[in-house]
Amino acid sequence: MPNPTFPIPLPAHLCRFSAFYPKHAPAVPKELAAAKAGPAEAEAVALALRDFPLPLPSKKKDYTCQAPGQDGAVWYGAKTGLTYYDPGAARLEDRVRYFSAQRDLPDNEVLALLPAEAPAENVREAVWVLTKTGATHITLRWTTPQEQAELLLAETLEVVDRRGMVSQRHLSVPYRPETKVPYNESDNDGCFTAGFAIGEMLHYAVFRRELGEDHPETQRARKTATRAAEACLLLMYMPGRGNGFVARTYMTPHEPIPAGGLYFRKQGDQAICVTTHNTLRDGIAGTIIDASAPVPERLAHLYKDEGFTGDGLVYKADTSSDEITLHFAHLWFLHTILGPADPELDQLARDAAKALMRHIIEHGYEMHDFGGEPTTWSKWSERYFSFGSLGWYDSCLNAAEVLMYLRVTMAITGESDPWQAAFDELIGKGYAELPALHHDRLVQGTMAMDIDPIEEIMFGDHMLATMAFWPLITLEPDEALKEKFRAGFRAWRGTIAREYNPGYDLPFHLACPDDAIDWERLTAWFGRSPASRLGASVTTARQDIPLRARWGGSRETAALLADDERFVAKYDRNPYEFRDEEGGTTLMESGYVYTFAYWIGRYYGIFEDQAD
Amino acid sequence: MTIMSQPIHAIGNAHLDPIWLWRWQEGCNEALQTFRSALDRLEEYPGFVFTCSSASYYRWVEEIDPAMFAEIQTAVKKGRWVPVNGWWVQPDCNMPSGESFARHALYSQLYYHEKFGRICKTGYNVDSFGHNAMLPQLLRQAGMNAYVFMRPSMGENPNIPQNAFWWESPDGTRVLTYRLPTGYGESGPGGLTRTLEFLRERGDEAGHGMMLFYGVGNHGGGPTKADIEHLTGKMKEAGFEELQFSSPDDYFSDLVLAPLNLPVWKDDFQHHASGCYAATSMIKQLNRRAEQELYFAEAFDTAAAKRFGLAPKTAELKEAWLDVAFNQFHDIFCGCSIREAYDDVRDSMGHACTVAARSANQAMLRFARSIDTWVEGVSDPVSDERRAEIRHRGIPSLFPRPVVLFNALSWEREVPVRVLYPAMGVETADHVPVPFQNVTASRFDNPMAKDTLFVAKLPPLGYTLYWLYPMRDLEEYPVPETAVAGGETADGLVCIENENLRAEFDPATGGIARLTDKTAGRTLAGDLPFAVPTVINDIEADTWAHNVFRFHDIKGTMDLVSLKLLEKGPARALVQAKYSFGRSTLLQEFSLTAGAWTVRVECKALWAEDFTMLKIPLPLTGAAPASTYEIPNGYLKRPCNGEEEPGLAWADLTVTDEAGQRHGVAVMSDSKYSYDCPVTDGEAEGGEPVTAQLRLTVLRNVIFADHCAQRPEREFNFTDEGLQRFTYEIYPHEGEAEQSDVTRQAYSLCSAPFVVQESYHQGTAPAQESFLRITAENVIATAFKFCEDGSGDLILRCYETKGLPCTRTAISLPMADAAFWADFSAHEIKTFRIGPDGRATQVNFLEGVV
Repeated sequence: MPNPTFPIPLPAHLCRFSAFYPKHAPAVPKELAAAKAGPAEAEAVALALRDFPLPLPSKKKDYTCQAPGQDGAVWYGAKTGLTYYDPGAARLEDRVRYFSAQRDLPDNEVLALLPAEAPAENVREAVWVLTKTGATHITLRWTTPQEQAELLLAETLEVVDRRGMVSQRHLSVPYRPETKVPYNESDNDGCFTAGFAIGEMLHYAVFRRELGEDHPETQRARKTATRAAEACLLLMYMPGRGNGFVARTYMTPHEPIPAGGLYFRKQGDQAICVTTHNTLRDGIAGTIIDASAPVPERLAHLYKDEGFTGDGLVYKADTSSDEITLHFAHLWFLHTILGPADPELDQLARDAAKALMRHIIEHGYEMHDFGGEPTTWSKWSERYFSFGSLGWYDSCLNAAEVLMYLRVTMAITGESDPWQAAFDELIGKGYAELPALHHDRLVQGTMAMDIDPIEEIMFGDHMLATMAFWPLITLEPDEALKEKFRAGFRAWRGTIAREYNPGYDLPFHLACPDDAIDWERLTAWFGRSPASRLGASVTTARQDIPLRARWGGSRETAALLADDERFVAKYDRNPYEFRDEEGGTTLMESGYVYTFAYWIGRYYGIFEDQAD
Repeated sequence: MTIMSQPIHAIGNAHLDPIWLWRWQEGCNEALQTFRSALDRLEEYPGFVFTCSSASYYRWVEEIDPAMFAEIQTAVKKGRWVPVNGWWVQPDCNMPSGESFARHALYSQLYYHEKFGRICKTGYNVDSFGHNAMLPQLLRQAGMNAYVFMRPSMGENPNIPQNAFWWESPDGTRVLTYRLPTGYGESGPGGLTRTLEFLRERGDEAGHGMMLFYGVGNHGGGPTKADIEHLTGKMKEAGFEELQFSSPDDYFSDLVLAPLNLPVWKDDFQHHASGCYAATSMIKQLNRRAEQELYFAEAFDTAAAKRFGLAPKTAELKEAWLDVAFNQFHDIFCGCSIREAYDDVRDSMGHACTVAARSANQAMLRFARSIDTWVEGVSDPVSDERRAEIRHRGIPSLFPRPVVLFNALSWEREVPVRVLYPAMGVETADHVPVPFQNVTASRFDNPMAKDTLFVAKLPPLGYTLYWLYPMRDLEEYPVPETAVAGGETADGLVCIENENLRAEFDPATGGIARLTDKTAGRTLAGDLPFAVPTVINDIEADTWAHNVFRFHDIKGTMDLVSLKLLEKGPARALVQAKYSFGRSTLLQEFSLTAGAWTVRVECKALWAEDFTMLKIPLPLTGAAPASTYEIPNGYLKRPCNGEEEPGLAWADLTVTDEAGQRHGVAVMSDSKYSYDCPVTDGEAEGGEPVTAQLRLTVLRNVIFADHCAQRPEREFNFTDEGLQRFTYEIYPHEGEAEQSDVTRQAYSLCSAPFVVQESYHQGTAPAQESFLRITAENVIATAFKFCEDGSGDLILRCYETKGLPCTRTAISLPMADAAFWADFSAHEIKTFRIGPDGRATQVNFLEGVV
């Protein structure tokens, strides 16, 4: 599959929006209840669907009502959701769209449909849907990819952002973002925020290039990117141990602390180990450790602006390689994009990178927690690689990670010593050859478990691999090593490619430009992503998607659903996951899944929004 | 003393050829004796473990000696007896279709599961001569994750990794594979000692454990007391602590527990017996035919059972498939067994084809008889005058006759259809006239004996009605015009053409001197004519052609006796070329039908040349020649080095022209499996234009089961002597082979539509119906059947043909009220199980039963 001509134009697409009402709310037209389908209409629908040319999400016998849409399109209501059929859609898979509870509808039993006669400008379709428990106004609105990125950014900043950190936020009342709870730490705040920050830095860079530095939109983008970058850096300085140790996340004194995990409450120059199940079990609750290294004022403003001092802040330790990998990738972009015009921030980034890198080298390529032992997952040492099957398997990714850390450190500090020596040492130990063995080891490991390789994919590792190899390959000057690292990235490609996720495919293309990418599907993804990351359930028990049994009795979909018809997730979940239970509607995820991919594509000139 | 650092797993086995230098009855008895012996050894030696493949042997024992079978069941339960290779036999691993491999697995693994409560985890074909590149996927889909093979040996192909390695098929599936460095049947103290020493060294070099295969084999036998006692003694010796009685399953399970850095092989395993893919054409032809007919029968049996509520013939079709599977045993399918065995083979393949034909016929007639074919007036009395008129004009009926055409393939296609009586007009169900002509019949019941040939458009996996008019006023009848023509060129060449192609024939050789693709504006065969039959001297090789990999000693080309334009009508133009060579003759009938993209060549040979091979060459000149071959569920590219290559129904040669455009020519056949592609002028790797020849090997006439170096002077029986009928097609295309329509064209050649000559009746079924629709042209169905568990669920199997990921393919089975989306990665095989509510589940070859 040859590469297309860049930039690829991304057309405006139809985004779905649902507004929910009680059945008898004043806003709901009276005609909707009157349009309730009877047996005659059900019979007419059955007749209309008899020779339907494409797979239908509901069983044919479950359809009960229909209503005309625009330009020959038709809405079909069923006992198991709502179907929109647009025979004029260019792509086969866009001709049938499915709307289900609870993201699009309050429940799946559609009783009546009432289309708008003349939808508003930029709205392709508007329809009222009466279901068993409520009324929903659904619109399909023409939206450009950039508009969608902006919608998601606004939602993320308004609902998810927590002192610059963006992972997710629970809502007190279903569907209502304004009822967000005032806390919501995540184990991987550093990792997720770094991904968000990278997207927003690229966003800023695109605006700076296209609109000019002084344009208000550029300035707004710079502010957002800077805040996210500061939030990431703050986690690198938060523990105050003076040895480069990085926090997973932190909380203010008013936020609840989870019952499990390793947390430290800062007080003056010290931090005390918080009582949790884990610390009680390990006998370390109450342990006092050093926290005397100051948090730079430039970063402390993130909590000080909300009225907190450093005292009483609680940070989470036992930091994993997930955090470290995304931190380093983020530092690379920070230095490149924000650094030139913000030397203070750039210096903080360089200092953080050096401190962390020094820690890793001095601890034998591990990150050690307060007790002198490595954290559970931050291990890049030969010792770990040769210890048991887990280290043997992890070594293929972790070798690439630590080499990337070193390359980024050299790139952003401009220093060669002592990083190059460490890099050479690891190359001498075979670290450059390890990444290419990833697939071999995945296959062997799963064979030992008597399962298929795709049963044992760690989906979160796909982002780690992407963010390890992309900077590593980009920054590596030695062509022979670069090719070895590409072989490592390719060893991941089999499992990554089946996700059809531009957030992975675009970095892969940038790192391995001669390799095949399904560009048609990649670009189509931007037209089928949800315009909100409300983590509501969707119905995946559909008639039109086969299921596949998985190891352990679970199931997954055998075909990948369009992003706007599957559950919302970050870059860490199985996109084929099948769930037939109804989920909550009280979680808002960060929109970076979309913005990260979109701004990479824009920044590197891979695509642009189609003019019309 | 050398310390053994790596384990050696001693695999007690008995290689059993159910047919080779004996008939199957002796093979059956051999299995019974071997199994008895193995059970006795298990009783005598508590540590001994016996490994045995091939579900068909177990079923023989179950049927003939149930008590012994019960002993085996007990031994399996204890882990002392280990069934391996979840297939019916150890088949040839190049020539069966992908669907055949699926059936080997389906029936065998379900049998093992039923009888022993477990399926086989290890694929095991220690004697098969070559192994196709798609096997890793075919094994994994069958529930197996490891593979053992022996041929080709290191001497035959040193490039394939030694010992243990990962084998990856084009879709990316891997199995852990072990290449036997020694034989599959070491026996006797001296040999065992030497082999153990060798394996100890090899294991140390490789850094992992090894397997020692021991036990008398070929005609069965198994481990002897002496063998077991020798190994038991060795185990007690210092330095052999890691020697253990074991099974391949345990070997692989142990192997993956330790860190491994093994090489990865992404190709097939060739060559050992290069001559066997052409020898004994009868079994090759029967196999291709049976595979296609069983698919056809099963698909329509399934549709009919679903539509009319009939009991499906799942059990009968299973037995037919098992006949085919048995005859795919490597020494049978490869044509290297004794002549007497092939009488049995022909009979059992006949059984399979008969089951298929009966099942298909019942199903097709059910559908045909439910269509409304009534014609007003057809039952009215006929006057004496009219009767006399009919007699006078020799026309059998006043009314159009309905024929119902059945297409088993999963896409719509236009193909020539032949009905065994003449007609004066042909129309679709909607009474739209179609091109037709009357052609010479095979019978001679009257001097004007004619059949009707017309071009029909067939729905995907379905049927359609046509009307044949026995009597029409010719002046009024609007026969559609086509571009089909025949005649002579300005320079005196006989030529035929249609809308797409033009073939001009060389009067000296009878070959195609110029083949023009009108759409592409490209003419092939400019320098050397296509399809001039070429006789190869094959006296040096035995039946397998051990140590012979190229067949290039040309005895001569066949002498053209005559070249005639026999037909030129709106439906078809046909040129006949007659040849002779020594005591042999060959008739090649080249035809182009309206709308066709291939030149069809129907052949009849009367062969009497001993120690010969007959090849049909298609020369092509250009740079960067690449040859591509169909393999089970896919294709594979191989170097144009002139080695004889196995392939399924098609092979291709593609080159780059002076403008840098890739184009090629494929050859496909209804019954052949052997090809070569030598560069005959130039250096293939040089980047400059060369002439290469894609050659279809159409027969190989050597002595049956000839395993000797010295042949005495006497009358032998030859594998391909006598009458041979076969059809091949020539397909020019632009781009690479896999990007073209070659796979579907080859299926179309091999799966002829069936014609039901229907009567007049009323009915409720539509005149045309399709039971399956797949929106992607590179996804095709290879099985449509009922699930083996009797649940009534349907099974649909498809695969991706072009090596291109195919996402969001819509698959519809209207009669099951099922329609779903499927994603296919490149070369992927997918099996779907469809429940009574129309919901689909993706399963593997075992249909979700296990």
